[in-house]
Amino acid sequence: MKRAEYKIPGGKLLAAELDVEGDRMIGVKITGDFFMHPETSIIELEKTLEGAPTADLEKTVNRFFRENDVTLFGIHVEDFVKVVRMALES
Amino acid sequence: MKETWRLIDMRIEDAPTQMAIDEAIAMARLKENTPNTVRLYRWNPSAVSIGYFQSVEKEVNLPACEEHGVDVIRRITGGGAVYHDYDGEITYSVVAPEADPKMPADILESYELICGAIANGLAVLGVDAQFKPVNDIVAGGKKISGNAQTRRHGVVLQHGTVLVDSDIKRMFQVLRVSDAKISDKLIQAVEDRVTNLRRYLGHRVGFDEARKALIKGFEDTFDVALQPGELTDAENRLVKRLHDKYSSREWVFQR
Repeated sequence: MKRAEYKIPGGKLLAAELDVEGDRMIGVKITGDFFMHPETSIIELEKTLEGAPTADLEKTVNRFFRENDVTLFGIHVEDFVKVVRMALES
Repeated sequence: MKETWRLIDMRIEDAPTQMAIDEAIAMARLKENTPNTVRLYRWNPSAVSIGYFQSVEKEVNLPACEEHGVDVIRRITGGGAVYHDYDGEITYSVVAPEADPKMPADILESYELICGAIANGLAVLGVDAQFKPVNDIVAGGKKISGNAQTRRHGVVLQHGTVLVDSDIKRMFQVLRVSDAKISDKLIQAVEDRVTNLRRYLGHRVGFDEARKALIKGFEDTFDVALQPGELTDAENRLVKRLHDKYSSREWVFQR
């Protein structure tokens, strides 16, 4: 399993763990002490990343936040991309 | 005539009940037309609450909790892990509609206002405390309160902690602090980043004195009178149902 932790400047901590099968992400789990309303969106984000090509990470995350009404506080969309990329490269 | 909000004052309950009450008040606020509500409460037994997105295994020293009889619960709000010491901590919660004229629509502004109410309450006790974004209140540069907000059912629910005389050693026995978080602030030892009323003031503040100060902080900040009240029957029914969710392994260990 691949795992990475990322401390967002300003305080919040974000972690991602996942496996890679071929060129796809599986078992993506994102944790941390950030804020996201509605909270259950994190489950939808993880589902969206499940089986997505690693090469499409940024595109997939950006599309998720474009298509869903999610409010972030203490974190930005690019932080999700960054921590998953760090896990992929770990 | 001043607007009145309901005060549910200093109930002492276990972790699943406290979290169920906060969620029930938020659920009922618009549906049952219940009043805006401030709660002050304590946790018995002492408990660790973790943020909705946190990994329980990564944040909590489960064997230490077991050993010391400390409950572990997952909140519906994001944010970090908190040790709610029965003998040294007061938790507050506040529920008001997002559309309430007294509640800023902007999330940061609403944190600032609610944390300002806590800081104003602490000022009554002689503590010079400030809101520190993202979601902390600090006194003398050290954290004395952590806060977490969610917005659902058309309402703002914010709850947070006020450290009165928390056992800070025990706090760091039951919480696991991640390497990334420590290395970021290597200059200070972990224990030096947190304070409580006793440490800051040099004397112990009783729960009754602290609770009166916090009530005044809310009343002054929101320009309301807090009227002691109880949960409604509808809220109590919700609490019963939500208690089962919060005490379930599936909920606590979901991530």
